[in-house]
Amino acid sequence: MTAAARPGTAALFGIGGALLVVVAAQLVGQFQLAGRAWPPLTDVLAYVTTPAGSGLLLRNGLVTLTAAAQGLLLGVVVAVFGAALALVVPMLRPGFERFAAILNAFPTIALAPLLITTAGREDTPMVIAALSVGFVMFVTMTSGFANVPAAHSDVLTVLGSSRVQRLVRLELPRAVPSFFDGLTLSAPAAILGATIGEWFGAPKGLGLLLVSAMQNYQMPLLWSAALVATALSLAAYIVFVQFQRIAVRRFG
Amino acid sequence: MTRALSFLRGLVHLWPVVLVFVAWDAWVVLNGYTSTVAPRPFPVVTDVVIGFGEYLPYISYTLGVALVGLLGGTLVGFAAAVVVWSSAALAGVVTPAALIIRSVPITALIPIIARIVGYGDPAVLTSTVLICFFPAFVFTLSGLAAIPASGHDLFRVLGGNKLQVLARLGVLYAVPNLMVSVRITAPTAVLAAMLAEFLMGAHGLGALFSESRSYMDMERAWGVALVATTVSVFVFLGARALENRVVARVT
Amino acid sequence: MSTSTIRTAQAEVDRPAARPGAAVTIRGAEKVFSLGRGRTLQALAEVDLEIAEGEFVAIIGPSGCGKSTVLRLAAGLDTPTNGAIEVFGDDPHRLAKQHRLGVAFQEHALLPWASVRANIALPFQVAGRRVDKARVDELIQLVGLVGFEDARPKQLSGGMRQRASIARALALSPDLLLLDEPFGALDAVTRRRMNAELARIWGEEKITTILVTHDVDEALILADRVVVMTGRPGRIRKIAKVDFPRPRGFETTRSPEFHDLVDELTALLDQVEGVDD
Repeated sequence: MTAAARPGTAALFGIGGALLVVVAAQLVGQFQLAGRAWPPLTDVLAYVTTPAGSGLLLRNGLVTLTAAAQGLLLGVVVAVFGAALALVVPMLRPGFERFAAILNAFPTIALAPLLITTAGREDTPMVIAALSVGFVMFVTMTSGFANVPAAHSDVLTVLGSSRVQRLVRLELPRAVPSFFDGLTLSAPAAILGATIGEWFGAPKGLGLLLVSAMQNYQMPLLWSAALVATALSLAAYIVFVQFQRIAVRRFG
Repeated sequence: MTRALSFLRGLVHLWPVVLVFVAWDAWVVLNGYTSTVAPRPFPVVTDVVIGFGEYLPYISYTLGVALVGLLGGTLVGFAAAVVVWSSAALAGVVTPAALIIRSVPITALIPIIARIVGYGDPAVLTSTVLICFFPAFVFTLSGLAAIPASGHDLFRVLGGNKLQVLARLGVLYAVPNLMVSVRITAPTAVLAAMLAEFLMGAHGLGALFSESRSYMDMERAWGVALVATTVSVFVFLGARALENRVVARVT
Repeated sequence: MSTSTIRTAQAEVDRPAARPGAAVTIRGAEKVFSLGRGRTLQALAEVDLEIAEGEFVAIIGPSGCGKSTVLRLAAGLDTPTNGAIEVFGDDPHRLAKQHRLGVAFQEHALLPWASVRANIALPFQVAGRRVDKARVDELIQLVGLVGFEDARPKQLSGGMRQRASIARALALSPDLLLLDEPFGALDAVTRRRMNAELARIWGEEKITTILVTHDVDEALILADRVVVMTGRPGRIRKIAKVDFPRPRGFETTRSPEFHDLVDELTALLDQVEGVDD
């Protein structure tokens, strides 16, 4: 009984919490507790539902989503390849790990001028997203590869497997849950990275929208752009959490 | 002797960094870029070394804001988590909300804070505090939630109250988690401070960066990138050392 | 004292090694593990052992006596610090690279994401050969897993997993089969049933086999010879020939001769453990 009731209660609390946030945000806006910069949520929603507003948000949201998705793909491919290379060629591992740690501490904003001259204004958001993703994926994949049980490894040795076969037959499938773990962390990082890139003069995207709305004091636009960015980040996270659950069931 | 040797070995493993510098130089030379487009590594490093005095006030400002934000956000997050923890219903309601708010990208948060608090230092500080708050809150709460039922029962049998459970067990379970949050938010705090400075502040590395970019002083702009990276790496290393020390102390 | 006489006697028999027909030859094998900070652990001290082709040898001994180390040397998973080991006149690594080894551990080590059939097919894939479907089906039948071909390991019982693991070890009809406590994690009843099944399977395949176990009954049900090892460092204490006719059913295991041998070897193990403490 209690076991069945508990998830229901948790969901109820969750909905309650979400409602609380919404109502509080509305009240703060309604009574201008935080000044004119905090509009009532109803104003923000009203803006989102206008054709002009929704069109603007949709167009820019798609640009950001595309940049984030491309960056995610690029970052994931490079990081998985790097982690696999570090696994097969152990000599490279310490160097790779240290470099990944530095990349993680890297304030991505510092990259923007480099990227604008190299990758161009259009591709900068994608590259920053890829860099933000790269570290997380590298670390999770490295730990995923490392937790292969000794007995499995011994079996493949005794069967006379080559290094590549060991990677394909054992280490890669074993690391699938870690891969999706990494994706749940990477997806919001990709959205953040893309918007940082868009701050630096990208022609389109939510990041651009946020900065220009702030500078032009367009509060409903600023808030709705923030809302869309948050929704994208949250949705990506939730989607990958579902994948991760499936992966754990299938490969765990 | 062995210490010096392992230090040297550590340096050898920084080869990817060297590779980046070499690739950077080769890229500038091969494309025939002038220094207004992309400077070569040597002049940038020279600018940092010779002009370090000019960088210093900016570095200390950014570092200061990041550390104050980290400390403030972590403490507020810890306190909020303890308050929420003392009520199961409150914890159930607040935790999902906190998770949702945590998903707000910094890039969306900073412009809003800038408008609410007003341009300038308070907005920069508020941004870093807010960004460090949520991880500290969530990690502390999950640490407190991990106190085993037997621990609670023990204190109930001994006639202790919730405050005693917190003081004796909570610290044991929450502090290591809190330190994890410090480690992972420390570089983010520097990033947030720089982003906020870039957008609105008149001080700090972010401001220096946007300034030198608009004056086309590319050596300075790239120098800021280099310095910011170094600062960020050291903040991360410091946070990790602190985590190790505190965790060793508590457990 | 008696240990050393046995060892010399045995050395006289075994030292002129690599006779034709010898499947495994271990000569003066020592194994020292480094524990870090200059500390070492000697797992094996001068082990001599010869195993003939088609022979089933069981190695028994208390835990930590180095019996698994002997098996790992034969599998090429470890190399001896001193001494030599040859398998079919060659380095054990070579045998593994030629895909002529089969192995089953106490941890079944089946790939959790693959079905029973896919797990048994794994050795074919690793060897770069086309999966012999008929052979896989035959093995599934041999180990009694018909109807569970598409089940994944976590859907099986402990005994079924071990059977799948043994089927995988047999897949390529290896020249040498290595079993490291394959039934160690099973309950006593399942374990005896698995012993009987392994005896039947071995009767059909007649593969040179080394079985590491701490169960004296299991060793006597299955092996042609039983090697008793003493611990720290691991040495061979006694090698007993087991002459009971096969198949060794209840008539054998209930016979006084069987019990005498069990008692004798158990006493040796007890003594060993007494010395150890």
